[in-house]
Amino acid sequence: MKRRGTNLLEREGARSVLASVISIVIGMLVGSLLILAMGLFNSGLSLASAWDGIRLVFGGLFSTGRSASGTLTWGFNPTSIGNMLFRATPLIMTGLSVAVAFKTGLFNIGAPGQYLMGTAASLMIALGIPTETVPAGLVWLLAFLGGALAGALWGAIPGMLKAFLNINEVLACIMTNWIAANLVTWAFDGSQYRNLVENTKSAYIYKTSYNGVATSKLGLDLIFPNSQVNGGIIIAIVLAVLVYILMTKTTLGYELKACGSNRHAARYAGINDKRNIVLSMAIAGALSGIAASLYYLSGNTEFFWSTYQSLPATGFNGIPVALLAVNHPIGVIFTGCFMSMLDIVGLQLTNLTAYNEYITDVIISVIVYLSAFSLVIKMLLTKRSKRNRTAAGTTESAPEKAADAVHTEKGGESA
Amino acid sequence: MQAENIIEMLHITKEFPGIIANDDITLQLRRGEIHALLGENGAGKSTLMSVLFGLYQPEKGEIRKNGQVVKINDPNDATALGIGMVHQHFKLIDVFTVLDNIILGAETTKLGFLQKQEARKKVQALSERYGLKVDLDAKVEDITVGMQQRVEILKMLYRDNEILIFDEPTAVLTPQEIDELMDIMREFAKEGKSILFISHKLNEIMAVSDRVTVLRKGKYVGTVDTKDTDKQALSNMMVGRPVQLEVVKDPAQPGEVVLSVEELTVPSHLHKRNAVNRVSFAARAGEILCIAGIDGNGQSELVYGLTGLEKASHGKVTLCGRDISHASIRRRGENMSHIPEDRHKHGLILDFTLEQNLVLQKYREPRFQHMGFINQGAVRQYAQQLIEQYDVRSGQGPITVARSMSGGNQQKAIIAREVDRDLPLIVAVQPTRGLDVGAIEYIHSQLVAERDKGKAVLLVSLELDEVMSLSDRILVMYEGEIVGELDPRTTTVQELGLYMAGAKRMGKEAERS
Repeated sequence: MKRRGTNLLEREGARSVLASVISIVIGMLVGSLLILAMGLFNSGLSLASAWDGIRLVFGGLFSTGRSASGTLTWGFNPTSIGNMLFRATPLIMTGLSVAVAFKTGLFNIGAPGQYLMGTAASLMIALGIPTETVPAGLVWLLAFLGGALAGALWGAIPGMLKAFLNINEVLACIMTNWIAANLVTWAFDGSQYRNLVENTKSAYIYKTSYNGVATSKLGLDLIFPNSQVNGGIIIAIVLAVLVYILMTKTTLGYELKACGSNRHAARYAGINDKRNIVLSMAIAGALSGIAASLYYLSGNTEFFWSTYQSLPATGFNGIPVALLAVNHPIGVIFTGCFMSMLDIVGLQLTNLTAYNEYITDVIISVIVYLSAFSLVIKMLLTKRSKRNRTAAGTTESAPEKAADAVHTEKGGESA
Repeated sequence: MQAENIIEMLHITKEFPGIIANDDITLQLRRGEIHALLGENGAGKSTLMSVLFGLYQPEKGEIRKNGQVVKINDPNDATALGIGMVHQHFKLIDVFTVLDNIILGAETTKLGFLQKQEARKKVQALSERYGLKVDLDAKVEDITVGMQQRVEILKMLYRDNEILIFDEPTAVLTPQEIDELMDIMREFAKEGKSILFISHKLNEIMAVSDRVTVLRKGKYVGTVDTKDTDKQALSNMMVGRPVQLEVVKDPAQPGEVVLSVEELTVPSHLHKRNAVNRVSFAARAGEILCIAGIDGNGQSELVYGLTGLEKASHGKVTLCGRDISHASIRRRGENMSHIPEDRHKHGLILDFTLEQNLVLQKYREPRFQHMGFINQGAVRQYAQQLIEQYDVRSGQGPITVARSMSGGNQQKAIIAREVDRDLPLIVAVQPTRGLDVGAIEYIHSQLVAERDKGKAVLLVSLELDEVMSLSDRILVMYEGEIVGELDPRTTTVQELGLYMAGAKRMGKEAERS
């Protein structure tokens, strides 16, 4: 107890945060190295431009462009921050989706499919109900709830397959992803929602603002002028807090986590494990569906409906967002913002230097790889702090942990 | 001249973060003796043996063989020094044959090809010489636990080990097999091999060992000659206070039937036959009814069938006058608490904290939740009360993660939770498995106290001592059927053993078969 303050590495939470930070820093360093290498070996680029690029990788969010003399200028950039928050909104939601499933012992790789189903449901409701007769606010709410419900139903399918037929949820999720992609394409194909007004846009759906439906800005546009930010980010943050409360403070969260940590013990205690598996996949699916609702109901986003050959990256990016946050719902808010910040960095690189946004794709992919390793990094940190402690010869506290080490041969019969 | 002590472990200190597992322990093993190492769970026996076997490096102290200081960095060094170990959980490869397991890691090869014939001859010779009957070509997964242990012993002999460590070797054996093992150990000692025998079963230590070294909480208590001591003295040394070895209880006063089972049949996952075949019995209030039998004769499945963890294919179960044959686990739990066989699989959620585990069935009660929100304060308070009342020890009290607790305290936590549910029937499956004398004493007294309060206790146990001393009535299970009902006051361990081995059946049954 006493040591808590003195040695941060002793704390589980601190180790998790540190492991994630290490993954992030390594990712950004790899990006910087790439920029440096290109700067050095490409005759068209100079070391100075490489330096600009590297500075943008780390501080792109606070870049305000270039001065007349051509040097980068820095400062508070409300547009960038606002756009970051806007892009973070769906990532936070899919991150929550994956995190909730993880907490209950399931790997929800079905977020893209749930996201697509949420997209389709939201758009059809938002564009299908005439706002001349129904208030736009109500249409928005219906579309939002419709997206959540569609995602929940789509998530419940792999949940049911897992609970009743013991089919691995990863396989079922991957298959339902592609079923969703084809289903959505088929549903929009030939529908009245295709944007035929602007003939430059093929295979796009109308923006919901076409029907007068858009998420309220809630005054955020005053703080972050010229950005796409809207009330969605606030809804996402509120939902993250609600998920946190659900998982830690309620009997339902207790049951879900019990099933996730030890299905046998949960069953032994009389908890209905099958119901809880379906339920946790449905909750995860609803969160992914909401991700889509919040993104497409903004009023200024367009959906490319001919999606049968691709799955939305936002769904998959929920996985690194959740992993980096160590599945902590509140942590997801920050890691979601971080991932969208990298998007902004990519834009700034394209706008201000000879480099482009693909650098940030590299960074994101390195972090995605490393975030899977963040558990390994965490283990290394645990080992390190243990070794330090043994070397220092401190022997107070935590006797049971070591006693357990003594007992490992004795009690390790179960898996 | 050879030194009298073949192995000396002098002033061994081994620390783990936060605890000194071995604190200045000295152990001297004489040539040709059987030396027992006695201590409670967590006393440091396994750590000390792991140091000797090269799995851990001590911070202080030295190990000598024949008076020479040796350094044992890993199990290969230990093997080279002639030290062999039979682990409590066997280290065998299930899909390999017995012979392959024995030679694994010490294969004789010629030009990279295995020379199994030579190995086979050597193993056969050893097996005959010591009466260690094994089928060399059987796969390990198909042979009995007793035979698996003989395979482990042959592994040590095959490597010409002269110092043999047995870690709790009798835990998995039948009484007859235990006797055989004791004979084999005596035979080894006669030939000059030296044996370290880790146990907390006092009967066996008294029967087979020459000397006993006692450890307590990581410290050396003393070494005594077995012939100069007795069970009571040893257990007092081990626990550090006078211990009640015998279960003290008044004769049972059975009341009305609490649980009645008629023709219960539970299918097996392992074979086509039924694991439990048409079993009928009744348990009454105020008695401890024991289901005895060798492991794997359907006892576990019987409990699964009763508690609802598995579906029965036939039969009727009545609990407190209610037919629960098809009831959910939760509904059955309204009148039945269950101390499960596998405390890690069923008993605890290891990643949950102690307080979360203590309310595993109770979290839905109004005092612990309001509108679905858990009342953390009430949970904490309840956990603290149970921890105090049942003396559950842990590093951080209610917020200790269950995984980090010692086995004995994990079990105490389960007992506390289940006994405190205060239900008419307690199903206790091997409640003292792997626990030390102090904890066993405690758990036994708890079960007797519950009986005296008028609860029906259904005890499933593999430990004969426990069966004989704790129960008021014994049912013996063999191959999924109840083959005998015995009265512990009039029966003997030998008779019980015959029923358990299937050699004897109740009169009527014998005629039928």
